[in-house]
Amino acid sequence: MGRTVMSFPMPNLHPPVLDPAFVTDATVEVDAVSVWFGPKVALSELSCSFGPGVSGLLGPNGAGKTTLMRAMTGLVGVNEGSVRVDGRDPRRDRGVHARMALVPEDEAVPAGLTARQFVRYIADLHRVADRGAPDTALQTVDLFDEGDRPVDTFSKGMRQRIKIAAALVTDPRILVLDEPLNGADPVQRAQLILLFKRLGAGGRTVIVSSHVLNEVERLADRVIVLVHGRLAAAGGHRAIRDTMDDAPRHVLVRSDAGRRLAAALVGLESVTGVTFDSKRNGLVVQTLQAREFAIALPRLAKASSIRLVEVRALDDSLESLFRELVR
Amino acid sequence: MTTPTTSSTTTLSVRSRSRSRLIAIIVYTWRSCFPPKRWATVLLPCAGALLFGLLARAINSEPDVAFANVAAEGIFGLAMPIAGLVIGDSVLGAEIRAGTFHFTWLSPTPTWQIIFGRWCGGSIVAIITIAPAAAFAALIASSPVSAVPAFLAAAVGSIAYIAIFITIGCLTRRTAVWSLAFVFLVERLLGAALTGIAQLSPTWESRAAFTGLLDDVPTRLQRNGIPEGAAAIVRLLIVTVVALVLANWRMKHLRLSGAAD
Repeated sequence: MGRTVMSFPMPNLHPPVLDPAFVTDATVEVDAVSVWFGPKVALSELSCSFGPGVSGLLGPNGAGKTTLMRAMTGLVGVNEGSVRVDGRDPRRDRGVHARMALVPEDEAVPAGLTARQFVRYIADLHRVADRGAPDTALQTVDLFDEGDRPVDTFSKGMRQRIKIAAALVTDPRILVLDEPLNGADPVQRAQLILLFKRLGAGGRTVIVSSHVLNEVERLADRVIVLVHGRLAAAGGHRAIRDTMDDAPRHVLVRSDAGRRLAAALVGLESVTGVTFDSKRNGLVVQTLQAREFAIALPRLAKASSIRLVEVRALDDSLESLFRELVR
Repeated sequence: MTTPTTSSTTTLSVRSRSRSRLIAIIVYTWRSCFPPKRWATVLLPCAGALLFGLLARAINSEPDVAFANVAAEGIFGLAMPIAGLVIGDSVLGAEIRAGTFHFTWLSPTPTWQIIFGRWCGGSIVAIITIAPAAAFAALIASSPVSAVPAFLAAAVGSIAYIAIFITIGCLTRRTAVWSLAFVFLVERLLGAALTGIAQLSPTWESRAAFTGLLDDVPTRLQRNGIPEGAAAIVRLLIVTVVALVLANWRMKHLRLSGAAD
């Protein structure tokens, strides 16, 4: 009796990445990671990935940003799930650290070392033989002139920058920065943001956490939002907004007939409120269905013979996103 | 601020000419782990050792015997363990608590080099502080024949202590508390009653090394079941190696949270 050979279509093992929490060319992969410290759960079944470019990590205090960064760099082990850096476990494979650097949030810096000695020490651990590399790193963060000063006498902002120099001296492909702009003055912030963007544009994976949301907005191509150790949102900040169907949005509408437009807008199902903003000299429309409103508004204006002068989302910044996500 | 221009390829091509990681860690240990306050804390038990030398002069017996009695209890039972505790905590535990150890840990340096480098750095500090202090104490006590045995026993005992305290530093954040518990509860209390524990104790073994290297030793200082002299030194070196191996294993599983946690 002959055997019947049946064939089945092979499943696609590598489907295209659609979830904004993941990237196709991932260098850091976080898979269903949970971390707890005694009774406190710091991360809960978190999955996301990071690739070349600048990614922002946002969340309120206690959201798990720092724990995630420590897990990614292998400083803490995960209780469940896995973290992979270039396909390797950062807890088990110390070779991972040759390609990765962390700038921790803590202000602590080694006592008794000058800035140059500190950066040189890190360079020695990474076997960077270029004797000029520490000075280049110090120049990169504008600390070259302070090279012979003990790091434990540095201000908060200078400590952040010296830690960035210590990270850069190893020429990492993956740079994890925990609140790196803390303590920096506005000029230094702008310079550091520019530096991180350049590093990201150069093909490095740069992961930055910050509470200063407008800076992350300027800095990151992609944002991961954590709340209570869980993934709350991911993607570009506009894309995150689009996923939040139930979050109210405020749209400024200026026209040549404000009163008539206000009366007409009240009749739209997608509109939940209309107020007049005297400062902006226009109507502020609150909606829960932004897409529907965007389609309905021009039709309404045309039907009512009203000329629209300006239509602008008022809360399309990360600041407002963050408020709504953590509410 | 400028973007670093060093490429990975360039970095790789020059890595072979870099300074040894081990030497870098030892130098770092001297520079960073021993700020002035730590040095003062290390020097206190050394001063204590010298005072025990003075105390031996006040005892109405042969200088060699008087010093042997005082050194066995005062130097090897108190000054040396405290010096070893301060040094051992400085080279690892204090840095982990301060939140700066991850600068070393987050490097491709093998953990054994980190452990060995820290131990070497601490051991050199012990060899230039508590070991000479023990020898000087012998000279102060008018017992020059005891100087070399005291130096050797204090040196080997303190480096064994440093290895043990490094291991404790890898096991717990409260290094100082657990190290004190090890010295006073395990060694002094249990070690006095149980020879099996005393055989692995730097206090008892360094005391046995010291007395074994002396020509004329009070019988009350001799303890059955514990190797003496050179054999005790070998035993201490074995304890040191085992402690360092344990520390190396444990370092791979360290959970490094920040100073604030």
